[in-house]
Amino acid sequence: MKPLVSYVITRALMFVLSIWGAFTLAFFFFHLIPGDPVSAYLQQLEQQFSQTVDAADAAAMAAEMKARLGIDGSLPEQYWRFLGNVFIRFDLGPSFINFPKPALEHILEKLPWTLWLLGTSTIISWILGFVVGGIIGTFRNNFASQFLINFSLVISQIPSYFTALFALFLFGYWFVLLPTKGAYDPGIEKDLFNPRFLLSVARYAIMPAMAVVMVGVAGTLISTRSLVTTILGDDYLQFAHAKGLRRSHILMRYVLRNAMLPQITGLALSLGFVLNGFYLVEIIFNYPGMGSLFLSAIRLLDYNLILGIVLMSITVVLAATFIIDLFLPLIDPRIKLND
Amino acid sequence: MTDARPLLTIEDMRIHYDSVRGAYKVVDGVDIEVHRNEIFGLAGESGCGKSTLVEGILRLIEPPGHIRSGTALFRPFPEDPERSLDLVQLDYHEMREIRWKHLSYIPQGSMNSLNPVMRIRDQMTDVVMHHEPGGQNEINRNIAAALEMVGLPESLGTLYPHELSGGMKQRVCIAMSMLLQPALVVADEPTTALDVNVQRAVLETIAHLRDQMGAAVVFVSHDLAVHAELVDRMAIMYAGVVMELGTVYEIFDNPQHPYTKRLIHSIPALGGPRERLESIPGMAPSPLAWPEGCRFHPRCPDAVPACSSTTPRTIELDTGRKVTCHLFDPDIDLEQGSA
Amino acid sequence: MFVVDAWKRSGYFRVGSIMLAVLLAIAVLQPWLSQLALQNPDVSPMSMGTFEPYADPSLRHPAGTDKLGRDMLALLFLGIRVSMLIALIAGCTATGIGISLGFIAGYKGGWVDAVLRTGTDMVLVIPSLPLLIALAAYLPTISIPVMSLLLAAFAWPFTTRIIRSQVLTLKQRPFVDLARTSDQGDMSIIFLEIMPNLLPFLGVSVAVGMSSAMLAEIGLQLIGLGPASINTLGLMVQQSVQSGVLAIGKWWILFAPVSCLIAFFVALNLINIGLESAFNPRLRSVTGD
Repeated sequence: MKPLVSYVITRALMFVLSIWGAFTLAFFFFHLIPGDPVSAYLQQLEQQFSQTVDAADAAAMAAEMKARLGIDGSLPEQYWRFLGNVFIRFDLGPSFINFPKPALEHILEKLPWTLWLLGTSTIISWILGFVVGGIIGTFRNNFASQFLINFSLVISQIPSYFTALFALFLFGYWFVLLPTKGAYDPGIEKDLFNPRFLLSVARYAIMPAMAVVMVGVAGTLISTRSLVTTILGDDYLQFAHAKGLRRSHILMRYVLRNAMLPQITGLALSLGFVLNGFYLVEIIFNYPGMGSLFLSAIRLLDYNLILGIVLMSITVVLAATFIIDLFLPLIDPRIKLND
Repeated sequence: MTDARPLLTIEDMRIHYDSVRGAYKVVDGVDIEVHRNEIFGLAGESGCGKSTLVEGILRLIEPPGHIRSGTALFRPFPEDPERSLDLVQLDYHEMREIRWKHLSYIPQGSMNSLNPVMRIRDQMTDVVMHHEPGGQNEINRNIAAALEMVGLPESLGTLYPHELSGGMKQRVCIAMSMLLQPALVVADEPTTALDVNVQRAVLETIAHLRDQMGAAVVFVSHDLAVHAELVDRMAIMYAGVVMELGTVYEIFDNPQHPYTKRLIHSIPALGGPRERLESIPGMAPSPLAWPEGCRFHPRCPDAVPACSSTTPRTIELDTGRKVTCHLFDPDIDLEQGSA
Repeated sequence: MFVVDAWKRSGYFRVGSIMLAVLLAIAVLQPWLSQLALQNPDVSPMSMGTFEPYADPSLRHPAGTDKLGRDMLALLFLGIRVSMLIALIAGCTATGIGISLGFIAGYKGGWVDAVLRTGTDMVLVIPSLPLLIALAAYLPTISIPVMSLLLAAFAWPFTTRIIRSQVLTLKQRPFVDLARTSDQGDMSIIFLEIMPNLLPFLGVSVAVGMSSAMLAEIGLQLIGLGPASINTLGLMVQQSVQSGVLAIGKWWILFAPVSCLIAFFVALNLINIGLESAFNPRLRSVTGD
């Protein structure tokens, strides 16, 4: 077999196996949490409609519901059934929220918001971090560069929900410039082709995005600067100068380009972790994304929805690594194919 | 074969590195002439300043290093041999014009001197486009010719540096240095990291280039055996100054300076009787504080009182044969010093 | 000792450890400091209605009082103590787990390494905050040690990774080969030859473990699923967000715990950078030291 083919097959196999492994861990973890979500749910319904159901009926209802949720029978049975449903029919089963609305529908409703908000901010922070990191790496002996790098080193480990709180205070309450909650103006009709709606979506995203970007920029900036610093000391850079190439050309083709290739991995990985990292920012701004959805699911111990969201996160992270493994050898000649 | 006007005249070259502990006087007053179409060798132990000297001529010294004083008159125009440029005084843009077109460089660390993420041909095109822009076909022809001259196939142009062996990379650098047919090529330890048979091939290539292209070569190496094989004239450096200068036959058959004698006796003679090799006692001095008087006197077996008090003058023995040692100075009182 | 070296070599380390020392001193002296602020031996910082609610900062209450009429300064001291305690236990436990696994993986190699590495990678891939939220929501009672152990359970993969890679490189070094050929036992190689070189990395890993435990703890609290009986800085943040102090203009109630937490994160991060730049020569160019 050609090395390329065997490389791709090995990676793909690893990809599928890792998804399965991580999913299995998560499945048993959540199912081993003590709690009886069905009874709790039925009790809640009783209270809601002020009706009492006698014990036999309640037991029958509970059994019926468990069967529909797929949480009846022994744990291994549940596991194999769920695994089959998910990986063969792409069906997560119903959710408690608006029972029996399928869990997958809930996820697909919220996913675009999270992707829009966090995907955009991740890409913006990567671009900003790369450009600024490249500049302060090239001109690193002036005051502004020294200040920026030290500032970034200090703030890079501060969690993004603190910057979120700070932004909230400054622009939401002090200057009252931006809306503090939600993803768009509820007074505007939700229509993708309505420019007023789109404008409102953008406006509502500014603050949470800013919170994510501030901290994200710092990380990319630090690593880009260190890459650029290393490259500037490399022999091929001195050689490029000796060749009499223009400075701007050296900066673009030799320094920034070489620094960008490893940083693309960083971008792909942070995009992969988009679904994992920012629950709290969404919650602080009441943003209708995956974070808020997951919180509701946890409160109800909604197994299908919880596992669906976790599986989604796992898959996206692993897909990002898989794609990097596949494409990085093509764009960066320094990386050789090896298993 | 010696022109009236040498190709390169270096006078009183001093290159210092500033530090908190004082100036490191790495090159401290060097006078050298390089003629057209000759291979000029620079030899000496590591730390003697030979690499720094050529980096100075190439203007590749970076802060905290700087050229303290001196001139390097360069006469690269065959149609007008009187016209000279002082390499030390040229500004960045004038220097960029000279680089590669008239003055090219085979770097010390050829292993790492090629941009790892650019194909060989692109890197060669890069340098041509910056100096003599032309049609892609013509450039490709030139590149193919240059590669062929160093014994590499044209198809190698599509490879990346990491796909080549060390010797191949070195030869790519040599091919690159000859692309624009410069008047002077500076080769800084081009054979150091290579094994012996590859070394031989590289040396043959360099000699071949001089014979075919008519370029002059400044050849830096700590390896005396290599000098013996390749160069026409050579200078022996020690502690930032030239100790002895002459043709390769004069230096090897009839060394005059005590340091040169020691240096030549420290290499084994091929085929001769096995003798115990002599090493030079003592440690190389620090460029922060060179010894008073003659810089070699603490290690010199022939030192006389004058050596520790008075800096020796450079004495011309025959035409073009120079020694910097009191023992050859008719005007000095060897017991007292002061000429 | 590596701490002394780091102190000498890195300004980052000096600033970071001074900051951490101040926080540590507050944590240790907390009972006395809180009393100083309360001026009443009969009340605890957490008891409600001791003072008038929402008092502005004054000489009597330098940080004001909160909605429940508690003196913010006294509460803040308590928060620093509890948060510090949790972070320390969690950080050290995580380091303990991480170093054992990392050591075994790196030193043994082979299939042991493969299994441990795959396991670590999988834990890293599963989003940890959701798991933590789920655990916290359904555990009946949570005390300080339980909380710390919970947080430690998700902070160890990082340590495992760095220790493993360090052991792998150290194992190749000539002095370990020398020890092996001179017939030293595994234990003596591990503790006499390899361990001393790992000490700075242990420092890094405790610092990283502490900040990630802290991070997760605040996350739990912010969602409102942390235990309300343990007065951490995270809980204070959550309570002030919950009672909407920003909207009524009492921002200092929120910013007191937030700035303490930021000081904590910055201190740990500076210690980290300091240790790495002092002991990893390649990093020196990164921080520009």
